[in-house]
Amino acid sequence: MKNTIPERPDTEKRGGGTRPPLGVDWTDFILAVIILAVCGFLFFITTRFEEASEQMSQNIPPEWFPQIILIFISVLTLAIPFEHYFKGRKVAGKEREVKVKPISILSALLLCLIIFLMPWLGTFATMLLICLLLPLLWGERRISVLLPFAIIFPGAVTLLFTKVLGVYFEAGIWSKLF
Amino acid sequence: MDAALQGFALILDPFNIFLIFIAVLIGVCVGALPGLSSPMAVALLLPFSLSLEPIPAISMMAALYCAGTFGGSITAILINAPGAPPAVATAFDGYPMAKRGEAGRALGLAAVSSVTGGIFSLLIFLFLAPMLAEVALKFRPQEYFALAVFALSMLASISGTSSIRNLISGAAGVLIGTVGIHITTGVERFTFNSPELTEGINFIPVLIGLFAVGELLNQSQALDKTLERITSVVVKLPSVKEFVKMKWTIIRSSVLGTFIGILPAEGATVAALMGYNEAKRFSKNKEDFGKGAPEGIVGPEAANNAATGGAMVPTLALGIPGSATTALILAALIMHGFRPGPYLVRETPHIVYAIFGAMIIANFMFLIIGLTGAKVFSRITLIPRQILWPAVFVFSMVGSYAFASSLFDVWTMLIAGIIGFLMKRYGFGAAPLVMGLILGKLVEQNLSRAMIIYDNDWLRFFESPIVDAFLVLTAVSLFWPLISKLWKRS
Repeated sequence: MKNTIPERPDTEKRGGGTRPPLGVDWTDFILAVIILAVCGFLFFITTRFEEASEQMSQNIPPEWFPQIILIFISVLTLAIPFEHYFKGRKVAGKEREVKVKPISILSALLLCLIIFLMPWLGTFATMLLICLLLPLLWGERRISVLLPFAIIFPGAVTLLFTKVLGVYFEAGIWSKLF
Repeated sequence: MDAALQGFALILDPFNIFLIFIAVLIGVCVGALPGLSSPMAVALLLPFSLSLEPIPAISMMAALYCAGTFGGSITAILINAPGAPPAVATAFDGYPMAKRGEAGRALGLAAVSSVTGGIFSLLIFLFLAPMLAEVALKFRPQEYFALAVFALSMLASISGTSSIRNLISGAAGVLIGTVGIHITTGVERFTFNSPELTEGINFIPVLIGLFAVGELLNQSQALDKTLERITSVVVKLPSVKEFVKMKWTIIRSSVLGTFIGILPAEGATVAALMGYNEAKRFSKNKEDFGKGAPEGIVGPEAANNAATGGAMVPTLALGIPGSATTALILAALIMHGFRPGPYLVRETPHIVYAIFGAMIIANFMFLIIGLTGAKVFSRITLIPRQILWPAVFVFSMVGSYAFASSLFDVWTMLIAGIIGFLMKRYGFGAAPLVMGLILGKLVEQNLSRAMIIYDNDWLRFFESPIVDAFLVLTAVSLFWPLISKLWKRS
């Protein structure tokens, strides 16, 4: 007997194929530029750290270690656009070739919105909304599954954390309703 | 001896046994569910564990680690989708064997070889950890710094798409660890005038975000994918004759897995792949590999579970994590007020013995649970993504919030998740970042101390033969991908 179940994307074969032509991988090039820009910005920030007294710093100023790390990252980043050539294949594999689906962007935005509203909603309502809206966004339409899940699961988690583990949850709008 | 008895007595407390049982159940489920992994489960368990006593908390994590590694093999064999990365190699021969109607035999072989590998590595752990700790007690800051740098350099050779990107991820983790007030001078670094950042970035939300939320977004890319599944399973243990026939494969893989586990940063996935390769290399029936060869199952399974015990050796004896999951266990130990490393082994050896006991119990528990419940565990993969992942997110959110009742931590988790998703997409691993995050403070503190001792003279580092040895190993590790390529060519 055979059923169907969701497949794990990690199991897909990665990379492979013939050696790419010598040159720059433009996606990797842009990636490297972004990383270098971030490193440059952070390096600039390190130059603005407060100056520590010589006695406190004992010749080890606070910016010294982060600067070493940033230089290390920058040097490695310079190799990224050419890495595909040395490896003889695309480095990031299939994941990068598949466009980010709108559903992923929408999921991230939805989660950001719900978390943004969390101080007002309170923890329980936030969980309830996540359990209701995220499955809906992902295509779950069975109300008989969705509603019990959206109510029972956040309820169980709230009980576990507040009663068993003693965590304080913000009541949010529930305190105004009840 | 007293410490060993004390440790075992602690772990044999009925409440601890119950928690280990729960952890094994969670571990096998998590391991079996594609997308969920042991590091993710341990990260989610971290906030819960803080409300427990240290021994049950750490024991739960250690048990979950063992069971999660085995759980992945169930789905690798039954649906050709390894529930966890260490089970990737098990699918090569496990699934073909299951397809020809011997799923039960494949599961039996996987379970028995996993337990054998696990027990073997734990015995090594029991003897090696105190010895290693004894040596490490002689380490000064400069030696510790060199050891931590060596551990970070090992990120170049761990599994992943690129050594360079692994190293960048690791360095980024170290950099994140510098956020907050500098211990030596009291100067704020990268705080951007935010009071929440002055104490540094709390690593629990970062870990939860990277492993759980990053994977959630990754799973949203594959909502429509389906796979064939074998459901008729009656688990069959290998006969003594069959077990004896494969004894050398199991022993070889157990030794290899333990050794790879001991190496800092190398984990069960590398061990499993090497275990598979070695099983094939020494097999008289090489042509059967990929078609359901029993050695192709026992080789990686003994190796990946042996790596779990091996990875605990540097974690507890040196304070250097052996894998992503042990990095989280290390973080938990620190949060419970322990100081992982030689002092933990010397001053609180009963903790080490208790962890050892928990892992032994977990190995036998997952043998029983895995064998009797394989059919049930294979069915949990039927939980729709649309329900599973929102539930994971709720746990992630609450877990991040619970630690300090801070909304800032929830945002940290969410941002870390989005970054984790993008990192994976562009070939940067989350595991190296975690290792960097955990090791970063160790590197900086010991470097600063060493530089003060050496009066800022870099060259004096080379005066210590231990530092020299670690620096040579670091160079070998960094250039290993290049060296191995040249080796193969010659």
